[in-house]
Amino acid sequence: MALIMSVVSLSISILYTPFLLLVLCVIFLASIGKSLGVRRLYVNILLKLFEYGRQHIEVAKKVQRNDSSDEEEEPPIPDDKPPSAIIKENGINGTKMSVIERQEILGPSPELNYKRSSSQERIQNGHRTDQEKNEVNLEFHLSHCLDLVKAGVESIIEDQVTSVFEAEELRSWNLLTRTNKQYEFLTWRLTIIWAMGFLVRYMFLLPLRVLIFVIGVWLLIVSTACIGTLPDGPFKQRVNYVVSIMCFNFLSRCISVVITYHDAQNKPRSGICVANHTSPIDALVLMCDNCYSLIGQRHGGFLGLLQRALARASPHIWFERSEVKDRHAVAKRLKEHISVPDNPPILIFPEGTCINNTSVMQFKKGSFEVGGIIYPVAIKYDPRFGDAFWNSSRYGMLHYLLNMMTSWAIVCDIWYLPPMYREPHESAVDFANRVKSVIARRGGLVDLMWDGQLKRMKPKKEWRELQQEEFSKRLKGE
Amino acid sequence: MGNKSSLLLREEEIAQIQEETGFTPNQIERLYSRFTSLDKNDCGTLSRDDFLRIPELAINPLSERIVHSFFADSHDDRVNFLQFMRVLSHFRPIRKNRENKLNSREEKLRFAFSMYDLDNDGKISRDELLAILHMMVGANISEEQLTSIAERTILEADTNNDQMICFEEFCHALERTDVEQKMSIRFLN
Repeated sequence: MALIMSVVSLSISILYTPFLLLVLCVIFLASIGKSLGVRRLYVNILLKLFEYGRQHIEVAKKVQRNDSSDEEEEPPIPDDKPPSAIIKENGINGTKMSVIERQEILGPSPELNYKRSSSQERIQNGHRTDQEKNEVNLEFHLSHCLDLVKAGVESIIEDQVTSVFEAEELRSWNLLTRTNKQYEFLTWRLTIIWAMGFLVRYMFLLPLRVLIFVIGVWLLIVSTACIGTLPDGPFKQRVNYVVSIMCFNFLSRCISVVITYHDAQNKPRSGICVANHTSPIDALVLMCDNCYSLIGQRHGGFLGLLQRALARASPHIWFERSEVKDRHAVAKRLKEHISVPDNPPILIFPEGTCINNTSVMQFKKGSFEVGGIIYPVAIKYDPRFGDAFWNSSRYGMLHYLLNMMTSWAIVCDIWYLPPMYREPHESAVDFANRVKSVIARRGGLVDLMWDGQLKRMKPKKEWRELQQEEFSKRLKGE
Repeated sequence: MGNKSSLLLREEEIAQIQEETGFTPNQIERLYSRFTSLDKNDCGTLSRDDFLRIPELAINPLSERIVHSFFADSHDDRVNFLQFMRVLSHFRPIRKNRENKLNSREEKLRFAFSMYDLDNDGKISRDELLAILHMMVGANISEEQLTSIAERTILEADTNNDQMICFEEFCHALERTDVEQKMSIRFLN
C-alpha cells in the first residue's frame, strides 16, 4: 500500500511540470488561433480504422447469411466523402437510408404566405381550380380512398418527422455501442477492436477531457471577471473578443472538436446570426471563431454561474422565466441590442429545439420580424465520429455531456453565408423560409416545413382539415 | 448507454416472418428498427397512440381506419411485430413467378374493403360509406351531396339489390382500377 502511494506521488511530481507546460502551451496556441494539428491527425487515423471495421463487418455478415436472394446486398459505398458532397437520392440527402420510395407525402399544408421549397413537393394534387362552380358534379369512386391509405401506410414505414427527433442512423458502425441498434456478436476481432476503443475512450480520453473541462471553465470565469473590471468601451470589447475566443477554443478541446470554417469573409459582425440547432455545443463551436451575444432563459446552478460570468464581460440577453412567453418583450430587447452598432451579433436558433442534423425544421418568425441584417450560418456535424445531437427526451444534460466526452471526436463544418435582408413586401414568415432554404441547401440538409414543436406536441387539427379540403377539391375538380 | 432495443430479433423469428409475408431478411430488419423506434416504451408492442405520434399519419383523414387495420387481430389493443408485418406485407409489390401470399390482388382488395367495412360484417352499408366520406372531406361538402354520392355509389356497385356492397361486388367495381400500383409500396434496398 505504502509502495503504491510512493509510486503515485513520485509519478505526480515527475509529470507535474511537463503537464503544466502542456496546458500552458495549449492555452497559448488557442490564444493565437493555431493548433498543433494533433486532432486532425487523430481524426484521419480514426477514419482508416472505421473503414477497416466496416469492410470486416461486411465480410462477416456475408459469411453468416447465405441467402441467395437477389435483393440482398448493396454495393459497398465509400464512406470517406465529406457530408456536403453526398449526392441527393430520392430528393433526400444520401446520408439518410430510405427504406421505401415515397410517392404520396402529406405535408402540414402551408398557410397562405408560405412558399413551398422544391424538396417538399406535394405530389398528390395536380388539380387547382379557382373557378367557383355552382353546380358541382362530384364523381366519387370506391378507389379514391386508396391514395390516402397508401400515403398513410407509407408514413408508418417511413416519415420525415419522427426520424428527425432521433439520432441519425449510420451507414457503417463507428465502434460506439450507442450507435448500433442491434449489436450482435459478429467476430472476435471486431469485439476486441471495440473493447480497445472502449478502454481508450473511457480510461484515457475521458479523464483528460474532464480535466480540460474543469480548467477551461475556471479559466472562463476568471478571465470574464477580469474583463468585467474594465470600463465599458471599444477597448473592453476588443479585449473581450480576443479573450472569449481563446477561452472557448480551450474549452472546445474537452470534446476534441475539429471544426472547418468556410467562407470566413461572411463572418457576422453585428445584427442577428441564425443557425440550425443540433445541440448546446452549437454555441460553443460557433464561439470558437467569433464573439456572439447569446440569448436565453436565466437558469440557476452551474449554467446560471456561466451566464453571469459571460454577462460581466459582454452584453448578453438573459430572460427571466416569466418574460420568455412575452414575445413583445423579447422583440424589444433584440431591437435594443442591435441598435447599438458595436454590440456583437446575437446568436439565435430559430428552430427552437434540437434537431438531429439531417434536416432543418420550420424557423420561428420572431427573430425575423425585428429588422436588421440576418447572417445565416449552416452547421453540419460528421456523424461518424460522435453524434452531437441532444435527444432531450432520452438523455439528461449530464448524460449527454458524458456521451460527448466519450465519443471519438466532434467533427463539423461551418459555412458562413452571405447576409440577407428582408424585402420590403416580404412577410416575416416568407423571409424565415427563405433563410431556412439557404441554410438547408448549403449544409446538405433536408428542408422540412414541419414545426420543431412536434417533438412535444400533437399536430394541429387545422392541418388535417386542410387535407380534407384538398381531397374535396380533388373530388370537385374531376 | 442508451441502447435502444433490448429485444433483438432472433433468426427463427426472421425466418417465420419471411415465410409468412415474403419480406427479405434485410427488409425485415429495417422494418424492425422502425417498429422499435415507434415503440417509445420499449415494450415490444405498439399502441394506437404510438402510431398517431407520426405527424404525417395523424393528419391523414383516414388515419383511424388505417391504424385500426393493424389491430384487427389483436386481443389486448396492442400490436406485436408479426401483426405489424402482416399488415405491411399487403403492400408489397406483386411479383410474377413468385408466390404472393398476403400481397395478391385479392388480398389487397380485401384490405381496401376493410377500410370501408366499419363493423367488419363483410358488407359495406350506406351509413358506413357515408362515414368514410365524412372522414375524407370533412365539412367541405354538404350533407345532401354526400348522401347522394353514397347512394349513387351503392346503386352502381350493387348487383344483388340488397342495398349493400359485398366483397364480390366491391372487387367487380374495382375491376378496372390498377390496384397493384395503387396499393404497392416499392421497397428500396
